[in-house]
Amino acid sequence: MKTLVNIDNGKKVKILKISGGRGIRQHLQCLGIHIGDIVTIKKSSFLGGPVLLEINGYDVALGKGVASRIEVEEVE
Amino acid sequence: MRIAFVGQPNAGKSTIFNGLAGYKTITANFPGQTVHYTVSKVTVGDETFEIVDLPGIYSLTAIDKAELESRKYILSGQTDVVVNVIDASTLSRSLELTLQLTELQVPMVICLNMIDEARRKGMEINIEKLSKIFGVPVIETVANKGIGLDKIFISAKEAYYKRLIPNIQSFHKDIEERIEEIEKIIPEEFFSKIPKRYIAVKLLEGDEELTEEIKKYPEVLNKVREIREEIKSSHGRHADTVISSERHALTMNIFEEVTKIGEPLKSTREKIDDLLTNRYLGYPLLFLILFGIFFIVFEIGKLIEEPLISIFDSFIQKLPTIVKEDSLTFFILKGLLEGFSGGLGVAIPYLIPFFIGLTILEDIGYLPRMAFLMDTVMHRIGLHGKSVLPFIISYGCNVPGVMATRILESPRDRFITATLSVLIPCAARTTVIFGLVGAYIGGIAAAGLYIFNLFVIMILGAILTKFIPEITPGLIMEIPPLRIPTFKNVFMKTWLRLKDFILVAWPLLIISSIILSFLEYFKIDTIINLVFFPLVSWILGLPEQTGLTLLFGILRKELSMIMLFQAMDTTDLSKVMTNTQLIIFTIFTIFYIPCVGTIGALIRELGTKKTLIVSILTILLAIILSLIIRILLSIFG
Repeated sequence: MKTLVNIDNGKKVKILKISGGRGIRQHLQCLGIHIGDIVTIKKSSFLGGPVLLEINGYDVALGKGVASRIEVEEVE
Repeated sequence: MRIAFVGQPNAGKSTIFNGLAGYKTITANFPGQTVHYTVSKVTVGDETFEIVDLPGIYSLTAIDKAELESRKYILSGQTDVVVNVIDASTLSRSLELTLQLTELQVPMVICLNMIDEARRKGMEINIEKLSKIFGVPVIETVANKGIGLDKIFISAKEAYYKRLIPNIQSFHKDIEERIEEIEKIIPEEFFSKIPKRYIAVKLLEGDEELTEEIKKYPEVLNKVREIREEIKSSHGRHADTVISSERHALTMNIFEEVTKIGEPLKSTREKIDDLLTNRYLGYPLLFLILFGIFFIVFEIGKLIEEPLISIFDSFIQKLPTIVKEDSLTFFILKGLLEGFSGGLGVAIPYLIPFFIGLTILEDIGYLPRMAFLMDTVMHRIGLHGKSVLPFIISYGCNVPGVMATRILESPRDRFITATLSVLIPCAARTTVIFGLVGAYIGGIAAAGLYIFNLFVIMILGAILTKFIPEITPGLIMEIPPLRIPTFKNVFMKTWLRLKDFILVAWPLLIISSIILSFLEYFKIDTIINLVFFPLVSWILGLPEQTGLTLLFGILRKELSMIMLFQAMDTTDLSKVMTNTQLIIFTIFTIFYIPCVGTIGALIRELGTKKTLIVSILTILLAIILSLIIRILLSIFG
């Protein structure tokens, strides 16, 4: 299964599953990240660094720990 | 009429508030700048409005401490009109909060701020349609340019007098039935000011605070649990996820109905942004930007300081010809002059360029990018990227730095970040570093102290993490677009920060300086110095007169330097102190016990016990570090 951590720059992905407790789920939902959403990877994780995503026109940074809990599939 | 500004972080609530109330609160381009609320009274025509600027919240389910504050205020039922401030360029997400606000059934105005930015992204929003959907006035503003702000009071009045309560947008029928079921069994007296539907939805979502409260009514709690389970089995997902997806679906529907999306304007801003967060170039740029700011502050400060100081010096030297030396009047006048010149000549020349630099960085939106770049490094000390923000703010002043730890989610992160934040050289300690080490030894030595300081913070962070292991998932943070700072905002913000120094710190400097003169006159200073003699002379190897100055430094850190000139009775310290002594004095001042203001902030954020621990820890740290450096310098120096 692919997570946000192993997606290359510029790729579009669809979010399939978010694992983790209610805390993380709610926090991501607040920032407008939901299952089924399509996001673009602006900066992929580098040396364990965070991932930068674009979703509906704005940017969100996710640390590697969080990103690795979000399962995705590439679209297009 | 009481109007509360409610909106997601970085939507521009404070900018609007400042535009309406005059400049009262500090704004910045990063999510979570406002951590406590500000109230102001504004009179327009014959009507007085009380406006409240609340910390940003992503949803009415609070995640961090700042959000909890907002929620408490909103739920207390003190507001007559809610102005929902929305960053128009993030409309799709922001509407989720709007949906939750409608459930509170308070007259509302929707304010689409930063409409210019939305247009740059190619978004066209149909405000008539949006207004019709929610049944409340919708206005467009560009707060940082002051556009559209005049419409806020007009619309708020309209919403209040016509009682324009927002329409609730219904979820799917099966969920609505569940909500209704809970609504019916909530006891009348349970948060009687808040609509039952809101409570029912939050209980379904498993809201911690409300669930805790409803435990007093076990039969309700059981029913809620039962329904949550039913939803889980029928939808195959947790009830909170189901509600959130429902809300998300509703917002996306509304968003698509009211917005037309065209081609975004690809601009140089995106290219710069790309460069700033580049995985290779981002770090040298970060270093250059920070180094550049300190270099400019140092150069400009020195340029202003030297002529100013010489004016005061010549005046102080002439003093014995005006008043009789060794008289009490002479001592008081000398203390007054030295305190006055300490503020004007030493602190202000460095403070102004420093505040301008910090403000520009904040308003551009560079700080969240730093958080992004530094995330990996921060993990090494058991924190994540967001902790960078309190750290950077602490370079200005530790008090807002400690308060900014509220943007962190876990108490553990808040404790470690606050503890490390108070070690960061604030503007006051910057003046000490520049005024002593920079002025007498050189800019490189001063820069070296900053690097040494960072090094110590990293090690201490790594040690603290060993004792309190990391459990947080990590960075989840919005990165707002880069913005061009407006001249007015930079000017006003610098002024607001400087005003704090002039009104609070400077008088304190002058008074303390006079007190020191008194102590000298009555020879009490020697007694105090005698008490501190073992620490000051034996451990730190400093002249014994410095004991008293270090004691004063607890009030304001720059006091210890200004007192030092007075205590050593010279304006040229290099004649009475060695370079090693100057460095040790500066290091001790940087690390030992936070100033009174910071201690106050720590007590508010962490409680008395933890504050005590932090204070003792910092004193020990200062002694150990000074000792190590003293030994090292005596070997290699």
